[in-house]
Amino acid sequence: MSKNLIQAIDDYAETAGDKVAYSYDGKQHTYAELKTYSDALAEHIDAMGLPLNEPIIVFGGKSFTMIVAFLAAVKSGHAYIPVDVNSPAERLEMINQIAQPVAVIAAEPMPTKLDGVPEIDEEQLEHVCLEKVDYHLTHPISGNQTYYIIFTSGTTGVPKGVEISYSNLKSFVDWIVGDEFELPRKLDMLQQPAYSFDLSVMSLYPTLYLGGTLHVLSKKTTDNFIVLFTALRSMPINTWVSTPSFMDICLLESSFDQEHYPQLRHFLFCGEELTHKTAAALKQRFPDAHIFNTYGPTESTVAITEIEITDDVLEEYDRLPIGFVKPDMNARVVDENGDFITDGTRGELVIYGTNVSKGYINNPEKNAQAFFKIGTQQAYRTGDIVTMAPNGLLRYFGRKDFQIKLNGFRIELEDVSAMVNREEHVKQAVVVPKYNSQHTVSMLIAYVVPEIGNFKNNLQLTAAIKKNLAKDMMNYMIPQKIVYQKSLPLSSNGKVDIKAVIAAVNTQ
Amino acid sequence: MDDKQTVLDILQDLTGEDFSDNLDEDLFASALLDSMGTVQLLLDLQDKLGVQAPVSEFDRNEWNTPAKIIAKVEAAK
Repeated sequence: MSKNLIQAIDDYAETAGDKVAYSYDGKQHTYAELKTYSDALAEHIDAMGLPLNEPIIVFGGKSFTMIVAFLAAVKSGHAYIPVDVNSPAERLEMINQIAQPVAVIAAEPMPTKLDGVPEIDEEQLEHVCLEKVDYHLTHPISGNQTYYIIFTSGTTGVPKGVEISYSNLKSFVDWIVGDEFELPRKLDMLQQPAYSFDLSVMSLYPTLYLGGTLHVLSKKTTDNFIVLFTALRSMPINTWVSTPSFMDICLLESSFDQEHYPQLRHFLFCGEELTHKTAAALKQRFPDAHIFNTYGPTESTVAITEIEITDDVLEEYDRLPIGFVKPDMNARVVDENGDFITDGTRGELVIYGTNVSKGYINNPEKNAQAFFKIGTQQAYRTGDIVTMAPNGLLRYFGRKDFQIKLNGFRIELEDVSAMVNREEHVKQAVVVPKYNSQHTVSMLIAYVVPEIGNFKNNLQLTAAIKKNLAKDMMNYMIPQKIVYQKSLPLSSNGKVDIKAVIAAVNTQ
Repeated sequence: MDDKQTVLDILQDLTGEDFSDNLDEDLFASALLDSMGTVQLLLDLQDKLGVQAPVSEFDRNEWNTPAKIIAKVEAAK
């Protein structure tokens, strides 16, 4: 039986208190600080007398306070909901309505106050964390209790909150630190994505569990290439976790190679398809590195399959496989009737086992569609079209619905279309993906029938629409390109024929 | 095709807009280009014009309008 996750992180305060856990923006924080601060905040939360096992929103960016708040929440018996600082007020309010949190911890100023929800703001946090307390872990989140809730795109402009339990998370962490990946025991890990995106979990918990150091990039840093490469060169990272899209940015820099980053030997990718082009370019720059492709929906705790991308794999496949399922997880491919496919042809991937979420919070309708039981095990319909070889190797071929990945972000096209349709200058709209030659989405294009307005030209109209969309939508969901039309093609049931538009956009 | 037209074509492909009459439009301020769009722009300049943009020295403020991008491309040739 391996160690309890929360206890293991706390123990480093005793055995390696001065070790740096978190390095961000030129500031270092130790394991001793992580325990002292999170204990103090956990005690403060206990004293608020909130109902146990009800979630707490943690709002902010990448600061050390964020992971202090995550740990304090679970120590005091509450799941946390990470909400990124760049979220518009509208999204925050929707998450509040759906999840019914009992408190908010705001590491950054909130864009809106949540009615009736007690808030611990930045200033209070600073005071609370400096209190010296003798905290005893008597009621931390454990077993099947929900540890975190991550909100993803829904289909109608309403997001879905995936509940991940302690057991789900622990099984995932044990796998990442286990034999499959052979990560360095002294981990110096890159922490790139926002905490509202579950890829961040792949860096965060394995590193803290092993007593390693997280080297954290802020969004501001990644958005500015000069700052980004200065930051990267100063980080002694030996293990890399990111989306393939982020790697594409790094590969633009010719000095991003083994010679300049000699200690960097492990790369783990997740969040979207790892293209052959990206993997091959990386392997060329870092010939001695271990490069892993992993795959998994947020509903199954970050990732459940892996394969090391060796020269042989690059040679054998034009489109890289997503790998083999982890122990304690099972995969089946099913046809339209839900019957198992065993002859290696394409079908929908169904997964079941210890990593599968209990479901979406307060959403029985979507839960009934996506989750079910196989025997006694929790199962999830991924919507991903795959094949499975006799040895268990899985290969991905696309989606059965209108969900896409853009730069690692999961987006339901209906969701984005619904939001664009609500914009005041838009009469009718449909949003479709443009694919590149590597089968990945390079951008979202909105086809819009505009309302008659007083704009000088389309440029001004586009700027006005984008500005309005930014009030309600996450930045990554806003279509990059808007194309104006007199009308949109309709299908026989009178709705916009999204398939026809997708086909037209991608045959040009 | 001249370099100016190629740049305008690349920008049109990325943003849907024809900038021929709007060469001084700020691409970032008007949210026409985001950071992944910028990456795509740099890749396209590399592929289609052979212009290697120095990413680690990439200052957005020097590349924020079609006119400035065209000038950069012409200077690099």
